[in-house]
Amino acid sequence: MRAIVAVLMIVAAAAGPRLQAQVEYNARLGVTWATPLIRDEIVEEVELRQKLAPTLSLGASLPIAPRYRAGLEMMLTSYGYRASETATSTDLGTLRTGSVTLGLHGPIAANFGWRAGAGLLGYWPKDERGIFLRGGTTRFLAGAGVDFRRPVWSHWEMMVSLGYDFHRFTTEELQGRGFSQSQGVQRISAAVGLAKGSR
Amino acid sequence: MRSRQRLLGLVTGSVLVACADIAAPSRGDAYEWRRLQGTSSGVDTLSFHWAGADLPVRFWAEDSLNLPAHVQGGIGRWEAVFLYGEFSGVVVSDSSTADVIVTTGIAPKGGFSIARLESGFAPECQGATDIELSSNGQQILRPIRVYVDPRFAPGSPGVDDCMALTTTHELGHALGIFTHSPDPEDIMYADPAVSALSRRDRSTAELAYHTEPTLTIAPR
Repeated sequence: MRAIVAVLMIVAAAAGPRLQAQVEYNARLGVTWATPLIRDEIVEEVELRQKLAPTLSLGASLPIAPRYRAGLEMMLTSYGYRASETATSTDLGTLRTGSVTLGLHGPIAANFGWRAGAGLLGYWPKDERGIFLRGGTTRFLAGAGVDFRRPVWSHWEMMVSLGYDFHRFTTEELQGRGFSQSQGVQRISAAVGLAKGSR
Repeated sequence: MRSRQRLLGLVTGSVLVACADIAAPSRGDAYEWRRLQGTSSGVDTLSFHWAGADLPVRFWAEDSLNLPAHVQGGIGRWEAVFLYGEFSGVVVSDSSTADVIVTTGIAPKGGFSIARLESGFAPECQGATDIELSSNGQQILRPIRVYVDPRFAPGSPGVDDCMALTTTHELGHALGIFTHSPDPEDIMYADPAVSALSRRDRSTAELAYHTEPTLTIAPR
């Protein structure tokens, strides 16, 4: 993932001034909710779930057609995660995720627009234990979202975003223990921020 | 029309893929970890695991024969068994605050209300775990005492390895595995010969920590 970001930064830096003038940037802060990472059954059902996560999103896009733009988005989250079983709940520490997605943006109507893309999502646990005993994991990610924009002053727009993405989750430790397939994890995020660009 | 059906199929397929759950492995290979104890009215089942409120379990190790390192290693091996934070332990310097005390030497002769779990068949060393119950038999009294002792002079071939695996074995008893595995490939076999925990050891510990225990630990 770092390699992808590095390549894109080099491409952006190497782009001419005319191209740079058409680049639009945005930064948003929000929260992300996610479905459980694991559903296991040891006597009773055990569910490993992420808490509501503060989220920072950074994006950039370039026009590729009169109505469409190609965009790169990074999303960073940091949150606690816990295991729950019937009446007990155990905090397992802090988990950070970072995703990079490449996608398309287009208009819907008035101030609304859509975006869809695919990329990679990395899990970086603070402590390597439990399901992350053999380290974090990187997974493919696909998602889509809706953005609302409203001009606030010259070249600046307020941006409200609602996003959805999904990926299949597993770790090397889980695979080593005989967990087969992977867990479908869906995330919904809401964020507010600013966009600066050429519109 | 056909393209709409394809799109609908793609969306439906994506949702099904996104919603599918991971398939957990079976823990059916676990061995019996509970102690069946005869009473005047029949058989009583004794089972125990450390509750979340008691974690991390505090271990004290005598500073002799590399025991602190063996205890630290044993804690690490048992912690690695669990996926969901069921157990954690620390080594403490003050024995008066310990939940489990690990010393060298032979376990003293009984004469008190104790369940003694021994592994005394290895040629190089031996171990025992004493778990003392309250007068009503419902609570385990702190501290649990673990004894590990070399049969030969320290430094003799195989003694340190034996001390390490026997410590891990005895810590397994202190965690709540009150019986021995029938399989020599398991660390909880009565005469342990392997240094790593097996899949059966792992399944057994996981089941023990997700089954309601009959015993609790007395308050500190």
